[in-house]
Amino acid sequence: MRRGLIARSTVELPDAVFAARLDRVRAAMQADGLDALLIYTNNTRPAGVSWLAGFVPYWSEAVLVVPRAGEPYLVAALSFRVKTWIARVSRLGDVLHHPRVGLKAAQQIATTRADAALGIVDFDGLPAGIADDLREGGPRLTLRDASAMFAALRAVADPAEIALAGKAASIARKALAAMQGENLNAMIGSVESEARSLGAEEIYVATAPDLDRDPRFKRIEGEAALGKRFALRATVAYKGAWVRLIRSVGEEAVMYEAATRFAQAVASLPSERGFADCRAFLIEGCRIAQPLEALLGSRVGGPTPPPPGALVSVQATLAVNGTTILFGAPALIGQFGAAASLLVDPLFD
Amino acid sequence: MLARERQKRLAAAMAEAGIDIVVLYGNAWQGDYLRYGADFGILEGHGIALVNADGGVELFLDSATDAERAELEAPAVRVHLAPDIARVVGARLDRAANARIAAAPRRFLPRWLADATRSFKLDDATALLDRLLMHKSAGEIAAVRRAAEIADEAYVEFLRMVRPGRRQFEIVADLEAHLRRRGCPDNFMIIGSGGKDVLGMTPPSERRIAVGDLVTTELTPAVDGYFAQICRTLVVGKASEAQRRAFGVFVEALEAGIAAVRPGVRAADVAKAENDVFRKHGLGEYTTSQWTRVRGHGMGMFADSKPHILEDVNTVLEPGMTLIVHPNTYHPDVGYIVLGDALAVTDTGAEVLCRTPRQLFEVCVIDGKQRRCAAA
Repeated sequence: MRRGLIARSTVELPDAVFAARLDRVRAAMQADGLDALLIYTNNTRPAGVSWLAGFVPYWSEAVLVVPRAGEPYLVAALSFRVKTWIARVSRLGDVLHHPRVGLKAAQQIATTRADAALGIVDFDGLPAGIADDLREGGPRLTLRDASAMFAALRAVADPAEIALAGKAASIARKALAAMQGENLNAMIGSVESEARSLGAEEIYVATAPDLDRDPRFKRIEGEAALGKRFALRATVAYKGAWVRLIRSVGEEAVMYEAATRFAQAVASLPSERGFADCRAFLIEGCRIAQPLEALLGSRVGGPTPPPPGALVSVQATLAVNGTTILFGAPALIGQFGAAASLLVDPLFD
Repeated sequence: MLARERQKRLAAAMAEAGIDIVVLYGNAWQGDYLRYGADFGILEGHGIALVNADGGVELFLDSATDAERAELEAPAVRVHLAPDIARVVGARLDRAANARIAAAPRRFLPRWLADATRSFKLDDATALLDRLLMHKSAGEIAAVRRAAEIADEAYVEFLRMVRPGRRQFEIVADLEAHLRRRGCPDNFMIIGSGGKDVLGMTPPSERRIAVGDLVTTELTPAVDGYFAQICRTLVVGKASEAQRRAFGVFVEALEAGIAAVRPGVRAADVAKAENDVFRKHGLGEYTTSQWTRVRGHGMGMFADSKPHILEDVNTVLEPGMTLIVHPNTYHPDVGYIVLGDALAVTDTGAEVLCRTPRQLFEVCVIDGKQRRCAAA
């Protein structure tokens, strides 16, 4: 569950930002002949609803309904005792509470028009029980997949989202810079403490405890032995924007050369060619609702190159003079022929 | 070892039910079914495990980072990175269309996979998995017991961390850091602070702790994937007479609820024992869904598992179940109060797993800065 700060800032996300996003969505709905749009949200797939309404569920599930006319409303499985909390952290016309969110949403949509055309974002991935409930609650509704329509709008970052990703990257960098302690668990604790104290909505810390043995990341439970060279990865969310940043610990000269190669490879995105001499790489970004979806990578079949203007998080495994080094940082894909760029310096020492 | 034990129990249950393949779904919210069969604690994306009757497990994950993590953390299973997870799993099940396949929790599966037009039919194995999740082995109860010990320790830390002027999210940041330093990777935690304006608990906000506040929290750390919860309330400063009196009702209700726990009684009987105390004190209204969600719940691989302790839940308690009994609700005189202990159902009653005193703790303030902890 989310245990970080979930709060709305009308400075970082003024009403006009949400209004502009909604205007673009409504225009696309009109072009596609949709009367309403439905987006599902839970811990794992929050990025569609947070983009349009700022709401991030700490637990449980909800659906956002965007009527073609009128304010969006949330149907939440959370009890109405948290209604005021939802209203405080979101920008919504209304919040309805029902344990079967699909049933209630369909009934509500059908009150306006029983045979409404309802677009559903990530219809294939929608929980089966909610799809069943939509059919029960609105038997005459026409259900259509609206993923492509939504992705065309969501996948390109607007200025507000770029600013939030920059803040998330800054939190991740400060947190990893604060890494200290006599053992790995103490280091992880120091990173988490810093990130959460700076207002992170979420942080996951993963570790590659001994890069000479295995460069893969895992979550630590109990004690873990630390090698001479190791890496920590902070995955940080801040007001709906998610980034990953890696701090590797190794020799300074090796780190600098690896960082240079990493930044050069990132600049070539969305082409993968810059990563040709990496042992492994991964590009993740948000297309629809999963905050960090695998788009490109050495293990990703069926690549989905990020469009110009997209925010991504990049990870790469590099070898310098036989030494394995991990780098990772968020980046912005260039537009109009511009090169992609890292949002934050991945070098720490 | 626990993973192998679970695998054997699942295989036996599948054989008894005549199931060839069980499809287990999980995500970061509802990850217990997946973890039961695949021994992997999912954090990002969708996860689907296919467990064969012969014990073989294939784990499909649509998050690349979780797929890498699963290779290291669940070495006994075959891991597949599958960004289009529904279709990849569907293609795998197409090859087993003649087998008897059942899914849990079926209602969470991606719609495409559960669609009736697929070549395979997915029966619902949710009840079968629920039974396994609820009835724990001695090893599983030991893990919950260790998690309860960590919860007790964490509450001592929590008492040290609360002081006037601190914001809720700063306290939770320190508490989470404490748990990570203890090697505890996961925790469920919500918090509330204030007075009669507070109707419940939420994730931490920017609200600052003030003298006179009731500060409520549920702490739920996990060990080996098993959660144990403790609920306690403290007062910043000296507790008022109204706060002490109100808290007394919750102590009485918790004790009544725990005393009702024994094999053969229904979850409803435990809820009724708790609620009768509130009714006796003229507070029956505050046992309704307008003011409280549940009067306790199961604990294990999910922080809020079955059975829910409510007066309309007829699940019969049996030895091996682990629960929290918590008569948490709003009190009209002082605001929201929580008090709850984790327990295991034994052959004769309940083994209470939490050791923290059932007291309204006071965090005393001296010169607006220093504090000491005591019990009211």
